[in-house]
Amino acid sequence: MSDDNQPDARTDGGTGIVPPDDETPTWSERKSRRAGLPRLTYEYFERARREDQDLREQSTYVERDVLGFPTWPHELIRNLALTSFFVGMLLLLSATLPPHIGNPANPSSTPAIILPDWYLYWSFGLLKLGDLNPALSLLGEQKLMADRTYGVLANVVIVGAIAIVPFLNKGSARRPVEQPFWAAVGMGGVTFAFTMSMLSIQNIMPMNVSLLFDLTFLAPIVVGAITYAVLKTMREGYMYDLNRRYYRLRPPNRPWPTTTTVPTAARGATWRSRCGSTRRLPCSRR
Amino acid sequence: MADEFMKGFGLFSVAALVWMISASWYRTPSFESTRQLVAAPPEEPGTVFDTLGIFLGDLMFWTALLGAFTFWVIIPAGRQAREALVVDE
Repeated sequence: MSDDNQPDARTDGGTGIVPPDDETPTWSERKSRRAGLPRLTYEYFERARREDQDLREQSTYVERDVLGFPTWPHELIRNLALTSFFVGMLLLLSATLPPHIGNPANPSSTPAIILPDWYLYWSFGLLKLGDLNPALSLLGEQKLMADRTYGVLANVVIVGAIAIVPFLNKGSARRPVEQPFWAAVGMGGVTFAFTMSMLSIQNIMPMNVSLLFDLTFLAPIVVGAITYAVLKTMREGYMYDLNRRYYRLRPPNRPWPTTTTVPTAARGATWRSRCGSTRRLPCSRR
Repeated sequence: MADEFMKGFGLFSVAALVWMISASWYRTPSFESTRQLVAAPPEEPGTVFDTLGIFLGDLMFWTALLGAFTFWVIIPAGRQAREALVVDE
């Protein structure tokens, strides 16, 4: 621990020789890409990797695990690929699908089926919960509130529940296996939004309405339970704590143990057994 | 395993896209119908191109299903079976 007492601990500088990490291609990998598009692609990203490596070497910053990525080419190549995909999909569909713009709406006749836009189906479905509106025997089998008031209140309850979630869970999990319960809540909520949307278009759903009504509330519970069971099972053999350790800031002047440069889940197994313990700290720090 | 997933997924998505295009022409009486994309195709297609389009739609439908099934279920199951049967040396 005497190294921590040095006033200016810096990892950059020195000889300038950077040992190869996992992203550095081996010589056989460099030789295997000789011609055509693989070579072009390889040279392109090899150049970017080289620039990144040079930047790291010239940097005066304390080296971290993730230094950041340049906008070109990393960000822009990805964005161009995504944009090309969606533009191509728009062109393909608009060129091949038959046009289906119907007759203009007739303002003097109400259509048989009135629906909001699809992204509001869940809210529209909540207005159709009249069957859940309890009739109180105290009031002589009369309902406490009208069905429409009940539907509006259901919207308030659902929106309020969604608004409360960030206060109950801060969302510090990187992936669902870390918090199976909240992942199950999320999957149940998504399913509930979907089934509620299906309930709202019950007029055109090819299904028995009462069955649809039951499924609307049962399916989210089933999906949530399955999600919880699957994630809880996955979590047993999942060494997410090692990956979480990897993404933390690397302490200055104290590189990783040289035997394991990157503690991925696969290598974590050997690392762990060598240390003989499941503590988070690497061997050299104990 | 990831490669097999991607092959199955690619087959499924591309074939389903082509099926959707074909079905929107030949299996859609109206876009406000509840039978859109799944209605029966016309009994007597007008031209040979219509026949080809209907056939292509059916072909792509089964390509999507069987392709995904092949790469997601059959091939991995076959590998598991082979690993279970072959004795390591």
